[in-house]
Amino acid sequence: MNGSGASHGRILYQLARADFLERVRRYSFLFTMGISLYLGYAAATGRLVMRVNDSRGVFNSAWIGGLMALVSTTFLTLAGFYVVKNTIERDRSTRVGEILASTPMSKTMYVMGKAISNFVVLTAMVVILPISGIVMQFWHAEDSHVELWKLLAPFLLIALPAMAVVAAIAVLFETIPWLRGGFGNIVYFFAWTAALTLPVVGAKNGGTQFFDWSGLSVIWSSLRAAAKGPADHNGFSLSIESNTAVKAASTFRWDGVHWTSSLVFARLLWVAAAVAIALLAAMLFDRFDPSKERWRGVAAPEAGDALESVAAMQMPTHVTHLTPLATRAGDFRFGAILVAELRLMLKGRKWWWYAVAAGLIIACAATPDASARGILLACAWLWPVLMWSSMGVREVRDQTSQLLFSAPHPIARQLPAVWFAGVVLAVLTGSGFGGRALFQGDWRELIAWLIGALFIPTLALAMGVWSGSSKLFEIVYTLLWYVGPMHATLRLDFMGSAPGTAATRVPFFYFALTLAIATVAVLGRKRQLQT
Amino acid sequence: MKLVIDGVSKQYAGKVWGLRDLRLELRPGVVGLLGPNGAGKSTLMRIIATVTRASAGRVLWNDADIAQAPDTLRSVLGYLPQDFGVYPHLTALEFLEYMAAVKGLDAASARKRIDELLAVVNLAEARDRSLGGFSGGMKQRVGIAQALLNDPELLIVDEPTAGLDPEERARFRNLLSELSGERIVVFSTHIVSDIEAIATDIAIMGGGRLLAHAAPEDLLRAVEGKVWEWVIASAEVPAAKQRFLISSSARRTDGVHVRVVSAERPGAEAELAAPTLEDAYLHCISSQRAGVAA
Repeated sequence: MNGSGASHGRILYQLARADFLERVRRYSFLFTMGISLYLGYAAATGRLVMRVNDSRGVFNSAWIGGLMALVSTTFLTLAGFYVVKNTIERDRSTRVGEILASTPMSKTMYVMGKAISNFVVLTAMVVILPISGIVMQFWHAEDSHVELWKLLAPFLLIALPAMAVVAAIAVLFETIPWLRGGFGNIVYFFAWTAALTLPVVGAKNGGTQFFDWSGLSVIWSSLRAAAKGPADHNGFSLSIESNTAVKAASTFRWDGVHWTSSLVFARLLWVAAAVAIALLAAMLFDRFDPSKERWRGVAAPEAGDALESVAAMQMPTHVTHLTPLATRAGDFRFGAILVAELRLMLKGRKWWWYAVAAGLIIACAATPDASARGILLACAWLWPVLMWSSMGVREVRDQTSQLLFSAPHPIARQLPAVWFAGVVLAVLTGSGFGGRALFQGDWRELIAWLIGALFIPTLALAMGVWSGSSKLFEIVYTLLWYVGPMHATLRLDFMGSAPGTAATRVPFFYFALTLAIATVAVLGRKRQLQT
Repeated sequence: MKLVIDGVSKQYAGKVWGLRDLRLELRPGVVGLLGPNGAGKSTLMRIIATVTRASAGRVLWNDADIAQAPDTLRSVLGYLPQDFGVYPHLTALEFLEYMAAVKGLDAASARKRIDELLAVVNLAEARDRSLGGFSGGMKQRVGIAQALLNDPELLIVDEPTAGLDPEERARFRNLLSELSGERIVVFSTHIVSDIEAIATDIAIMGGGRLLAHAAPEDLLRAVEGKVWEWVIASAEVPAAKQRFLISSSARRTDGVHVRVVSAERPGAEAELAAPTLEDAYLHCISSQRAGVAA
């Protein structure tokens, strides 16, 4: 039994090690560490601010440890998920998975190894923060006495259990077919928003902290007691600010969370929950069985098909007939490429996708209230996000780049066609809003809407071309969409959907930005061609 | 119609050379590009197909530098890469329509050409099936069809028989042979039998360099009088392999029949044999390796 245990341990170690090494040797890992470094820098220089009722704590080890741990559980649980949610997909796309599936390794072993690797990557991101924390303490010089336990306890008991949960959820998403792709990325964003806020709201209302996976309410409760201010339920804030001066009406001393055994146990329960989630993922994992990939909308070859391919579908012995082309290829047919790109973009959509899109168009056109119409436009322009996110990515993802880039004028013809197909999609899905503005003769609103229709596909194309993945656009766009149009934040209302935006200079800023991003997209494609 | 590869080199990150000062002039016909794995064949194919750029040197299509004016070549180019993908949700017909649009074919010509090509590669009945459900061989045939869409003057096929069964390979060779006519076909492979019967000339590559470029007959002439049939005991085979270049061996009742490529008679019982292209190719590659080792 010991031998078997040791063997399992070795397999698990090798699995996680290989996966971790494969990740850290990619450029994307540098980007990942860059996020952490920025957060550490922002905290150390005072841009990242935590307040309680406009007061802040004295910069001692406890306050800095708490602040950094909360940075981990708020920012890194979002960014980190997208960073690690590709480990099983990589094995699928590189076909290493098929080799692994033919070994005696169990599904549990494989999935646990992947979850551990995820956790190690997330831990590497988190570890940068306590180091920044020490710098921060000396930077502000309010209390230079470094207390290691108070600095590190929030990392160990708040940040790391939260990261374990994220690591396991990322694996779970990869094993559930419909959460594996872009839809899962968007689902996680909304699930993360809800999961982060609901336990805190519950705790503020005197409810249980049991579902506080991020540890936010643990710190919030302790801070509230230390601040001794009025019990303002909205008094806690954590924000990144452009002004480096830490503005606060007053300061108070916080000596950290009093870690009772029940609190420690509650946090460790989340590690157990992470293990349970990973085990659930193992149960759902298809072990790279291609016959279980019907969800993708592509029929796997059936027995009959295979026979047909062997017997009836051989190439003929002689060329039957091939008429020479009367005119030399190379004529510019933008319409044909555009239609082809649009078809490629819309291919595989089910009837209900069109039904929802049509419903949103009608609702947009029929809603008299400007605010509600703005929200409906935002929804109408979130609906096609997975189609936009494929722009500039398909060539790499489906390995057609060599075929397309060896065709005439790949930048002057194919790239504009992809972009214009994205614009057509935006105009069609947002036509309820744009049509109403046109009908009412509201030119400002119409122009703002049109700029939005140009901005979205341009951003998608540039991000797709440069990142080679649809993930970046899905994350950035959803975040922008949520903070900007959905919350009517003027500066980020790139759709011009909120009442009043059209009358400002904001749409013109996004028009200029669209031109700049379009240039970036062209440069990205040029770079791909000149590799 | 002329393709000139003029001193082309390609250096990858880490100062690894994929190609070194390669010079080659190609005229209409089927050029068999032979070489072991890692010889630089695919790198050369990608440079000619304008997918990647040479670090040094030029590729001239009818005297025009393709790095300066890639579209002059692209409009007459058909390219089947070694590794390529397809859009799994599109049918074979839709994918070819898409590629025809990208290549700039007018609608009427494209429709007719696609119908004919689907018949040529025998996928007419599968034209409306999603590519995601195609077998490897069927996908390869879609690749062949897209390469021929624009009736190319220069057809580059990189390891095109990979994934095809032996019968399909033979049929593909015939197809290329019949299509060659007034166009340059560059057929890259490491399997000599793929090009033995159809190549009008052969270029052999090794270590990123051009080792030989000649008509098949000239390559055969170079090893005439150097190929031997020799029957030895199976126990003697390891020693023979140490001393001589053995191009093939077969176990028979009277011992092991080995085919030796050597300037000197390997043994008293060895008899001269008619050389094959395989012998010539192995001789060329082993001479290069011996040169590198020296």
